Amino acid sequence: MTGITHTTALWYASRATGVVTMLLLTAVLLLGILVNRQGRLPGLPSFAVTGLHRNISLLAVAFLAIHVITAIVDPYVTIGLAAAVLPFASAYKPFWLGLGAISLDLVAALIVTSLARGRMGRRAWRGIHWLAYAAWPLAVVHSLGSSSDAHGGLVLGVLAGCVLAVAAALAWRLSGAAREVPRAGRAAATLSRMSARKADL
Amino acid sequence: MTDSLALRPPARPAGGPGAPGLPRLLPASGAVPVDLRSHLARHGPPRYPGGPGRLLAEVAAAGLTGRGGGAFPVARKLAAAAEARPPPLVIGNGAEGEPASSKDKSLLWISPHLVLDGLQLAAAAAGSAAAVLYVQRNQRLHGQLAEAIAERAAAGIDAARVELAPAPDRFLAGEESALVSRLTGKPALPAYRPVRGLPRLAPGRTALVQNVETLAHLALIARYGAAWFRLAGTETEPGSMIATLHLADGRMSVAEVPLGTGLADLLGLDPVHHSGAADPGGGIVASASGPVQAVLVGGYHGAWLPAAEAARLPLANAALRPLGAAVGAGVVAALPAGRCGLAETARVARYLALESAGQCGPCFNGLPRIAAALDHLAGPRPDRRARADLERWAGLVTERGACHHPDGSVRFIRSALRVFAAEAGLHERGRCTGTGARPFLPLPAGRPATDADWS
Repeated sequence: MTGITHTTALWYASRATGVVTMLLLTAVLLLGILVNRQGRLPGLPSFAVTGLHRNISLLAVAFLAIHVITAIVDPYVTIGLAAAVLPFASAYKPFWLGLGAISLDLVAALIVTSLARGRMGRRAWRGIHWLAYAAWPLAVVHSLGSSSDAHGGLVLGVLAGCVLAVAAALAWRLSGAAREVPRAGRAAATLSRMSARKADL
Repeated sequence: MTDSLALRPPARPAGGPGAPGLPRLLPASGAVPVDLRSHLARHGPPRYPGGPGRLLAEVAAAGLTGRGGGAFPVARKLAAAAEARPPPLVIGNGAEGEPASSKDKSLLWISPHLVLDGLQLAAAAAGSAAAVLYVQRNQRLHGQLAEAIAERAAAGIDAARVELAPAPDRFLAGEESALVSRLTGKPALPAYRPVRGLPRLAPGRTALVQNVETLAHLALIARYGAAWFRLAGTETEPGSMIATLHLADGRMSVAEVPLGTGLADLLGLDPVHHSGAADPGGGIVASASGPVQAVLVGGYHGAWLPAAEAARLPLANAALRPLGAAVGAGVVAALPAGRCGLAETARVARYLALESAGQCGPCFNGLPRIAAALDHLAGPRPDRRARADLERWAGLVTERGACHHPDGSVRFIRSALRVFAAEAGLHERGRCTGTGARPFLPLPAGRPATDADWS
């Protein structure tokens, strides 16, 4: 393990978890679009897509927490606790880290409102959930600007892949391809699909 | 308490041991609608003993709980309604979407004036000048209720103006948030209930929703007092309730019974004499209307119990809840021997899936999937993984809906997997105890149902 010492370990950890968080957040966004359009994944019951969306979002939060904490604790550059949450309060790369901080705050709002969903109105929850479309691009730009890895190579490739995937999902959503089934017919549609599948057995 | 004691309790012979004055809500015999004159002759004019505050104390002392299924303490709702500003709209809920239940329709048909008295009392307690009676779309019933309301208006005995609102004939039409949605001019679809307390009709306008039977009890408590109310029922679950009973011979009856009555008494079960009939689970119990293999308590959001176990239980939440069952709206059905419990459950599960409002993914995707798998399990030689799949999917849909529809449906289906486990084993070996082709549990006509008869 050349190059990793006790002083650089945290720095590497922060960079690595940042990349993983980006991948997870992208997966969450893609699954969110799928849930919204009642899309399905091969081999998975459609109601499990919702569960996957939730669970991966919680996993992303865990990685995001490690990404932020390691960045704060790491002595290589000084990023205070305040700079992690307050936008543009950092002395180190204030703009790029500020975007990350905003993204972090938005993700926190999404998670907190989703955990408290039973206690709030559906419309308010839905409105706040739309912030996902702001949090994700901010995270992408934050990665591009603040990462010393993103000037080429694998990390840039990963970011490009994420952007392409989300662009494709958005195009799918906005085109009529993902048409919504009318509410009254939803259960009946699933039931007839299930019954048809049973007949194949 | 003194002025209520001064009033004469209904002059009726006792309905049975431990059931003083029963039936209270229905006439002792016959199903002829009670008109205003005979209603007043039996009970006297509606009383507001000592003002709304007094009624609240009496209802709290009576320990009356909601009879629509939730068993929520009525006094707490009334107290919240009395504090709400502006006064909430008072709504009598008679939607009764449950196909196996007929108690609200019977009560509204036979004793409309008790319900209308209760509606007035609730409106007075809430300080509201308007009330709504929300009743399943049925021309005869609506016509008669409209007449009863007009009759009272002509007699000048009502303080609050009562409006009649039709409820769509859907399973969830009486769900509180669906009702609220319907009364604000939108479809009767359930919604997320953000906070506890009274539901909101519009910004700044709340509603007090009570089941129609609850309102009828309210009318009697106001007249005869809490101590009289507590003469029936148990200490923790006082009073009586109207139950819809489905007997093993296919007959249905609507009967007012004290809470805590043994299910064996309700269904005529004879737990001592085990039937000699073919008995895979070893639990067939004789009854006055034929051998019984299992009992459904609490309707289609309720739970199945093995007959031998049910025969030892009372109709009371204190005993039923620990077993995953509940009194609910008082539907009790005895499944006769010679019927396939899985096929019965599969038919109802399909109905419940189609009654999904189509709003929450886990409900409109999960319930049809579960219903199809149950249908498969009810058929010959089901896949041996079917039961495990059902359990897993059931876990995936619970507590994920805006309303309790997925949770209630899954409770019913899971209880069937437990109680009819031996039957499922038979199916896997290509056999079935079901011999009757006719379905047992009632479902609304004109809706798709699975032909589960494979014999």
